[in-house]
Amino acid sequence: MSDKQVISLSINGVAREVFAPSDSTLLDVLRDDLGLHAAKRGCNQGVCGACTVMVDGVPMRSCLTMAGACEDHEVKTLEGYIQDPLMNSLQEAMIASGGVQCGFCTSGVLITARNLIEEKPDAAAEEIRTALSGNLCRCTGYVRIVEAIAKAAKEVVV
Amino acid sequence: MSNDMNIPDGIAVGLSTPKLENREKVTGRAEYIDDMSRPGMLYAAILGSPYPHARILSYDVSAALAAPGVVGVVTGEDVPDGRMGAFIKDEHALAKDKVRYVGEPVAAIAAETLAEARAAVNLIEVEYEELPAVLSPEEGLAKNAPILHEELESYIKVFDAGSTGNLCSRTELSEGDVDKAWADCAIVVEDEFVTEPQAHVSIEPCGALAEIDAQGRVTLWSANQSVFRVQANVCESLALPMSRLRSLTPRVGAGFGNKMEPHIQPLTVALAIKTGRPVKCILTREEDFEIVRARHPFKIRMKTGADANGKLIARECEVLLDCGAFADDSPGVLGYALLMSGGPYRIPNQRATGKLVYTNKLRFGAYRGFGNPQVTFAGEQQIDEIARRLGIEPIEMRRRNLLKQGDGWFVGPKIASNGLERCLDAVAAASGNPKASQDRIKRGRGLAITAHISGLLGTGAIVRMLEDGTISLNTGATDIGQGSDTVLAQICAETLKVPVDMVSVASPDTDGSPYNWGTTASRVTYTTGRAVAGAAREVVNQLFQHAAEMLEVPIEDLELREGGRVALRGSNEDLPFAAISGRAHWAKGGPIVGSHTLVFDEPTHDPKRAIALGLPFPQIGVFSFGATLVDVEVDQVTGQTRVAEAWSAIDVGRAINPRLVDVQTEGGFVQGMGFALYEAMVWDGARLANPSLLDYKIPTSADSPHIHSIIIEDPEPTGPFGAKGAGEISLNAIPAAIANAVNTVCPGLSHALPLTGERVLERIEESDNAA
Amino acid sequence: MSFVVLPKNIEDAVRFLADNPEARPLSGGASLVAMKNAGLIEASHFVSLARIEGLNGISVDEGGLRIGGMTRHRDIAASAHLTGDLAMIAQAAGQIANRVVRNMGTIGGAVGNADPAADYLPVLTCADADVEIYGADGPRRVSIEDYLIDWYETALEPGEIVTAIHLPHPKEARSNYHKLARTPGDYATASVACAIDGARVRVAVGACGPKPIRSAEAEAALEGQIADPAAIRIFADSLAALADPIDDVRGSSDYRLRLIPRMVTAAINELRGAH
Repeated sequence: MSDKQVISLSINGVAREVFAPSDSTLLDVLRDDLGLHAAKRGCNQGVCGACTVMVDGVPMRSCLTMAGACEDHEVKTLEGYIQDPLMNSLQEAMIASGGVQCGFCTSGVLITARNLIEEKPDAAAEEIRTALSGNLCRCTGYVRIVEAIAKAAKEVVV
Repeated sequence: MSNDMNIPDGIAVGLSTPKLENREKVTGRAEYIDDMSRPGMLYAAILGSPYPHARILSYDVSAALAAPGVVGVVTGEDVPDGRMGAFIKDEHALAKDKVRYVGEPVAAIAAETLAEARAAVNLIEVEYEELPAVLSPEEGLAKNAPILHEELESYIKVFDAGSTGNLCSRTELSEGDVDKAWADCAIVVEDEFVTEPQAHVSIEPCGALAEIDAQGRVTLWSANQSVFRVQANVCESLALPMSRLRSLTPRVGAGFGNKMEPHIQPLTVALAIKTGRPVKCILTREEDFEIVRARHPFKIRMKTGADANGKLIARECEVLLDCGAFADDSPGVLGYALLMSGGPYRIPNQRATGKLVYTNKLRFGAYRGFGNPQVTFAGEQQIDEIARRLGIEPIEMRRRNLLKQGDGWFVGPKIASNGLERCLDAVAAASGNPKASQDRIKRGRGLAITAHISGLLGTGAIVRMLEDGTISLNTGATDIGQGSDTVLAQICAETLKVPVDMVSVASPDTDGSPYNWGTTASRVTYTTGRAVAGAAREVVNQLFQHAAEMLEVPIEDLELREGGRVALRGSNEDLPFAAISGRAHWAKGGPIVGSHTLVFDEPTHDPKRAIALGLPFPQIGVFSFGATLVDVEVDQVTGQTRVAEAWSAIDVGRAINPRLVDVQTEGGFVQGMGFALYEAMVWDGARLANPSLLDYKIPTSADSPHIHSIIIEDPEPTGPFGAKGAGEISLNAIPAAIANAVNTVCPGLSHALPLTGERVLERIEESDNAA
Repeated sequence: MSFVVLPKNIEDAVRFLADNPEARPLSGGASLVAMKNAGLIEASHFVSLARIEGLNGISVDEGGLRIGGMTRHRDIAASAHLTGDLAMIAQAAGQIANRVVRNMGTIGGAVGNADPAADYLPVLTCADADVEIYGADGPRRVSIEDYLIDWYETALEPGEIVTAIHLPHPKEARSNYHKLARTPGDYATASVACAIDGARVRVAVGACGPKPIRSAEAEAALEGQIADPAAIRIFADSLAALADPIDDVRGSSDYRLRLIPRMVTAAINELRGAH
């Protein structure tokens, strides 16, 4: 029997309890125990960015976060932004711009992008490119992703 | 044919419609293979070979079977002797009798949890007898080299491969008389080039989920570029009748050739059969690097000759390819690279020869470009070099030599539409003047042109009109993110003159979809699109038949009206599709179903033109063209090169969805740029040294340049609405253009890819020392 | 199988580590959890430092600056305290990995891991930093020189934690950190930390050997002559002569040896305002 324990988490504003292996990462728990699949496992090393989620309002690599260390933190995944106007604006911009191809990087991109726009709504294209350097995309060449983020940023009412 | 029914396009074709599945992807609801689970599902882990070359003497799985949570183990003893392989059938579902590369799957385990599977897999004991390994093609060809495939002569081969010893295949193509022609040249350049292996790095690692039903029939989902190739390969290697396996697709997280032929589907099915329960196997990123496939490293010797006016007279290309341990798509890559080695030029004398040699390394296989980027890297530099020596400007050099309308391709394929010159004109016009160099950053500009096929093999489409007049489209073509579902829906919608949201696209399923060879060779828009247009036209024919009877008018007087109506020309009398479909379903004629299948059947080889030995493609495709101009910045202190700006024009015949074509241009540019500047899989002896994204770097948003994507449309007569492929034409010329740009900043040619800082610094220092 | 424990103070943390030799301290997780995921380490426990007060943040007193071990790269990169000859430390922090990893990774974790290509090592060497270590016997301070011993080998005893980095007050001087990496965020192929304070130059070269390369004699020889290209050349070459780089996927040792004089010269010239 593997070493499991009860881990209490706050996910998308809801208190959740899982019974999971003690060395689970937050990514493991989100995907395997909570059925929240938006965060993806692209490398499990924190490099590709597909696992990025918000922890206490800050984007983090869920694959490098121990679930057991999350108990007094607020975790928010893409699924938690269903009715968030800024996220919706980003999502619509991505749909229209061509910034979504295979979609595997998309959740991580959206989490990172939303945080960027929130902190710096007037981010120029260069800053967007730099801020996104930790979200690897192999399909799009990044052009339409950056375009979508810039568009959504402009729509933010300052 | 593209537009023979005089349907003016515009309701769907030509629109940058957002992809049909985008909303599920931006909300995190898209379901990829690792998001799937089935009741009672087990998790798999793989045991890989520690040796590059060894006989398998025995297995002891008892400790593994006794480990907590373990339900079953498969080894080579559990799989039959069936061999799979796209060109040469040389590969088993799991290593049998022998291992041929470090990491080759030797056994697989299924357990209740992934952690238990991973803990137990190392308890499987395998006894090996190590054999001497072959680590390069030269070693493989040497006298008395250890032989990887002792039964090579007996393997089934789909073409005349000339396989012997460790020579997997050889190809020789020639036209004119190259040996005589050098004498007519005012200038001859000869160089050797080397390119290193590139990893696909689709952000989604490979995975599969297999389940056995009560009848013993297999249902298999997997990350794939063809549910049909998956079905064929699994059934071949596991000796299953194809009707006993149903192959399906979840959303796929990209595939640039790595998911076209099988990865772990056969062993996953074997585990499901063994345990009687569903089994899911997802590769770690490390495994994805180590056990799937990669782009071929090439060794190229190229020789090009021209007259004093820069007119090309002769080209000779000789390549030596490292096959890796299994043939996979390699014979195709060899043949295709040689076929493309002359570039899109009129060269009356050409010879292209090559050998493909087995080595004890990971199999090399299909990767966007399929050998074309490598030979283009070589050829375009020689074109520039000749231009330089003759004092001809690079763009002018291309103009004097490029293939024109009516010309055919080397060896024989016909070219119907040719927008190459317009691509060249477009990048020349768009690029303006290069910026000046500054301080330690020296700027250079480089050009390269290219061609690529789209076509190949068989495909089909079924268009069904539902009772209410809406449409269901089923082609079996896997959308790997590039948007083929959307593009095919647009083609279908345009033919029926309905908005694209009236068309639903079925997910590929070998049980219900018509055959489609695969999402590869830039072929889906062109080849499957043709089938879709054909099937939709059949539906139109059936609609007209019914309408003629229902309205009691001659069929020639009918026309389609936008939005789903059949009307009497020049009148207000019309019938909505629903009315016609209702009649068909309930009263007369039967449900309206159109289908169309085709195989690309234009011959590659024209024996009056060329000699071809070991050509793996008797039929190939139509031609797309491209031209790319890049501005690079070379840091004189470090040698590091980056691309500042790029203009890339591709002739796609007709842009069914212009935005999706732009994204191919942009994405292909960046992937080609990574290959050109820093991507290289490195072997440390027999072991892959950098199977990790920490050590193998792909371009990020911060180092991708400003890319100007230009769409050129030179309609392909056989293409749906004139369309032809975009997927690979967008990448081929990139390494060459970057090399040509660097060559204006550093003396000499770029003989090796990637153009690392180290390689460039060497040239900078050489030229500093010479000064 | 690893359990996560979350002690509330440093004494509990080090005692737990002392009592459990298979336990590992967990700061940001950027390195440690990646290694766990790759199966490279097996720890009985991860002792998270997240709840311990006083480990996060940058403070100033008469002695100088103290950067708590749990301070994140993001905060170090943005710190208003790191000016003048300490600006290079902020620059180095800002080039680690990417924005998201910088939200997680900590200076204590990075210095504790001591990857020879890590960005902090040359800048801290150049800045004459001290490393504050907490062990079962309490705290101690070690110069960065003495802290870094060899490839991945530091002065940390088993069960000890890096709790802070101590720096002198910033001087009115100029400093920079330049990193050559294949792509933005990659580990350095070679890196140079440089500070010019009046006539005095300090340089440390990173990612070119087991420890950053710095030479007091070479710096003394260059002092007062930084306007002389020949003297700069001699200085830069002498650092290359001290280097002992390896071949790896980021570059060969040969490339690194060529890079050192070039990058050092360029770094000094940039600070001088010359080109």
